[in-house]
Order: sequence, then C-alpha cells, then structure tokens
Amino acid sequence: MSALKAFFAIVKREFFSYFVSPLAYVVLTAFLLIQGYTFYLIVLALNQPETPRTALMSLFFTSVFYWIFMMLISSVIAMRLLSEERKTGSIEALLTAPVSEATVVAGKFAAGWCFFLFLWLPTVLYPVLLSRFGTLDWGPIASGYVGIALVGALFISAGTFASALTKNQIVAAIVGFVFILGVFIVGVFRDFVTDPAYRDALSYLNLLEHMDDFSRGIVDTRRLLYVASSVVFFLFLSTRALEANKGR
Amino acid sequence: MLEVQGLSKSFYGTPAVEDVSFRVETGEILGFLGPNGAGKTTTMRMITGFLPPTAGRVLLADVDVTEKPLEAKRELGYLPETLALYPEMRVREYVAFRAALCGVPSGRRKARVDEAIQKCFVDDVATKPIGNLSKGYRQRVGLAGALVHGPKVLVLDEPTVGLDPRQIVKVRDLIRDLKKDHTILLSTHILPEVEVLCDRVLIIDRGRIVAAGTPDTLRHEMAQAPAVTLVLKGEVSEADAILRQLPGVTRAARIGAGGETRVSLAGAPGSDLREPVFREVLTRGWTLLELTPRQASLEDVFVRLVSRDAAADADTLPGVDSTTDTPALGTEAPQ
Repeated sequence: MSALKAFFAIVKREFFSYFVSPLAYVVLTAFLLIQGYTFYLIVLALNQPETPRTALMSLFFTSVFYWIFMMLISSVIAMRLLSEERKTGSIEALLTAPVSEATVVAGKFAAGWCFFLFLWLPTVLYPVLLSRFGTLDWGPIASGYVGIALVGALFISAGTFASALTKNQIVAAIVGFVFILGVFIVGVFRDFVTDPAYRDALSYLNLLEHMDDFSRGIVDTRRLLYVASSVVFFLFLSTRALEANKGR
Repeated sequence: MLEVQGLSKSFYGTPAVEDVSFRVETGEILGFLGPNGAGKTTTMRMITGFLPPTAGRVLLADVDVTEKPLEAKRELGYLPETLALYPEMRVREYVAFRAALCGVPSGRRKARVDEAIQKCFVDDVATKPIGNLSKGYRQRVGLAGALVHGPKVLVLDEPTVGLDPRQIVKVRDLIRDLKKDHTILLSTHILPEVEVLCDRVLIIDRGRIVAAGTPDTLRHEMAQAPAVTLVLKGEVSEADAILRQLPGVTRAARIGAGGETRVSLAGAPGSDLREPVFREVLTRGWTLLELTPRQASLEDVFVRLVSRDAAADADTLPGVDSTTDTPALGTEAPQ
C-alpha cells in the first residue's frame, strides 16, 4: 500500500520535472513538427483518387519517420530517468526513504512512459479533423493508439535500463538507442531466416508487423504478452543494475 | 534507538570500515568524529541501508536494516553529506514529496509538512524553487525532508558544513531541539561542534573506532597524559630529536621561526615531563625562554588518536608542527 503511494509520488515528481527542463519542449516541438508533416503527407495521399482504400493508422506507422523518430525520442525521454539522480547524488536521499529499488525503477519508467503518451495527445486531433470530411472507423484508430502505447513501453523500458547503467545522460541516450535498435532489429531478422518455425517465432518480435496488426484493428494477446514480458525483463535488469551501482 | 554490531565494509578487498560497533539511545546525540576519509560516510551509508555491509548488522529502532529494509527505513531520517535536492522543485513541494514517499497518510500530510517546514525555519522560502536557495537554506530544507515522516532515528552527515557562522548556530539549535524526540547520530570533523552538541563521542580513524566516551571523559583521559610546550632561544634543529629520547615522552614536534625554536611534547599518562625537560635543557646548555604545560582539549585527544602514525612522518619535516598538520582542525577550533 505504501509502496503504491511511493510509486505514485515518484511518477508525479518525475513526470512534472520533464516540463521544467528545456528537453521536454524540444522533444514536444520536434514531435509535433514531424507528426504534422506526416499528417500532411497522408492527407495529400488520401486526396489522390488512385490511393487504395486502407486503414488510416497504418499510413502513420509504416513511414520511416515514425520508426527512426520513435527510437530517437524514446532514448531521449528515458536517458535522464536514473542517470541524473546518480550523477547529482539525489539517489542517496531517494533510496534511503522507505522505498525499494524496484519501486523507484517502476516509478521512473512509468513517468517516462506517461510523457511518451503525452506527446501523442495532440495527434488525436488528426482523426477528429479527418472525420469531418468522411466517415472513419474508430476501432482501428483506438487499437492503433494501443499499439503505439505498447511500442512506447517497450522502448522506454529499454532506455530505462541504459539509464541505470551510467551516470552520464548522453551515454545513457546513446546506449539506450542501441538497445532500442536491438529490440527493433531482432524482429526484422524474420526476413533473413527460412525455417518456418523460426520465422513464425520472430514475426511475433517484429514490431513492423506489430504496428500493422494494431493499426488494422487486430489486438493480438501474444503481442501484448511479448511487450509486457519484455518490459518486465528490462525493468528487472534496471533494478539489479541500480542495486549494484547506486553507491558508486 | 540505533544499534550497530561489528559493521565492516571493504571495497575490492581494501577495508574501509572495520568492526565498528556502537549504540545510541533515544534522546541522545552521538558525535561521530574523524578526519576526512576515515570511513564516516561509508559507515553512515551502511546504517541507512544505502550500501550493503560486508559484515555486521544495523538495527534501526530494533529492525534489521538488511533484512527488513523498508520497515527499518520508515524510522530513519537521513541527511546525506552530498546534499542533492531537486533544484526545480519548490520547498513545500519537495517536503510534501518526501512525506508521500515515506508513507505519511494523505490526511495528515499537510499538517506534517507544515510542522517540518516550521521546525526547520524554512517557512519564509516555502514557495521558492530549491535551486534558488542558499546553502544554509538548502541544508535546512534537506533536514525538513528528512524528518517530515517523524522518524525515530536521525542520521546527519556533516550537517553544518559549508554554512556561515550564523547559520551554524541556527542549525545547531535545531539539532539540540530535535534531540528530545529522536535518536541522533551526527558526523562531523569540526571539534567544537562535538563539544557543544554531543552527549557522547566516537572517534574513528582509518575505518576503526579509536576512542569512545563523553567529551568530558575523553578530555579527562587526556589530562592525565601531560603535554608541554617549550620555547628555546635560537634555531635548535636537533631539539625535537633529542627531547624525544627522554623517558616518558611519546611525541615531539618542532617549529623554528624568528630565531626561536618551539617544541611541543606529549608524555605518557602519569608522567611529569617538566623536570626531565628542564634538566635536559640545562645539560645541553640551551637557553629556555618558556616552558608551558598545555591544557588538554578535545582537540588534543583527537589529534593524538588519529595521528599516531602520521606524527612520526610529520616530525621529520623541518619547521612543521604535527599538531597543526592534521586535517582535524576546523577554522573555528579553539586554541
């Protein structure tokens, strides 16, 4: 019970501290620029009569913009989560409060994830705008957002682990980006194996396919399970890393 | 109540703290004294559960800090030496954050935060961001954050370091006031602080406890060991080496300045150095300008205890009195 209270106290503090750093505004602005441009391209494509009928959200998620940018932004959001407190030394006061390392890691991750989701909030406007000019199927749009949230959780948790490994935020961002890229690449290996058993297995790790499913309204519990277990795994690693490194 | 039993810590095989045991009762302030690098902070970090000990155990209000860390830490308020607060947070926000973190029920949170803020005299800056505050204010904000959840044990690592004299007085008054309801362990390397604040003192050097007792008993022990300062006319470079050979002399150090030679001597407990020194001066034919028995202060105890080996090195340096060569002296140490 008190662990839950401490968890929410950490989430709240960490989430609001994003907004007093210039980083949050840089990320927010860049995000809106890129998403706005993507939206413009989508509208342009939809206006062409030869565009085939397709799920609106899948247009969003198949673009290169989306993936490169998601990876970059997630590593930047997560970089300071644990490394900053270890650098300034405030981790000492935090961990001598009656909270466990696991609570701290979970709270930090949740705050980073909340900020990630917050970035997507303005984009809800796009389907609302489009719905004035035609009929939209809201189901796939909702599931598309679920897909985004899952990818975000996966990426931020990998970034959190990187942040637990070093006191330097820049190093944390770079290592985090590598981890996130690794998570992304594992699934891409599907296209390089011929054995159908491995292909099947790897396709569940394939995030492109993951986003494609979700944007077409398919919510597959196996994908949910994959993301949830990966997040738990990364947070477990972060907790162990924090326990081992905190005094140094 | 705070109890430490056989606490040891080594880093990569190098011992930093060895077999430290002590007990602090409720309503008592224990001063933890030692030169920089003696292992004070390491010991405190083990007590607060931040560092796992290599051996030994810590009981915070009868709860083992390694076995039940969450339960034990609920009774702990800790002010770390490297006081790092969140600069972007406002004072009240920070104290409220600590209260939530330490499990103060939300119904009582506001009252507790107000109380802590008032107790630590930071109510006038309650709405300011911590980053804009002076060191003295930040120290007291840290203290407010450490005691907002009403812990039984307070561990304060150098609470007055970096403060101006007026702030030091304020923080000391505050600590003395907190003694009523808390068990306090306070580390410092400033001796007068121990004399004015602490009921008992532990002196730690190179990771081991070298002395323990009330400031009075320590001074008393020292008083039985005589100390003498003599001043000789002219530069007598071999004076300290010769006087060290006298029976009963445990330590001799020399400063030569301005055509005078000043030698400070320390003797074994129970001996009287004045007579043998006088006779030696006579046989050598030196001109004695001054012979002063020195009053023992806590500083002498401290210097003697922590510089036993260092004294031998310091004596070989010409013109250096080893008593002024120790890192133990605060700027405000009494002479």
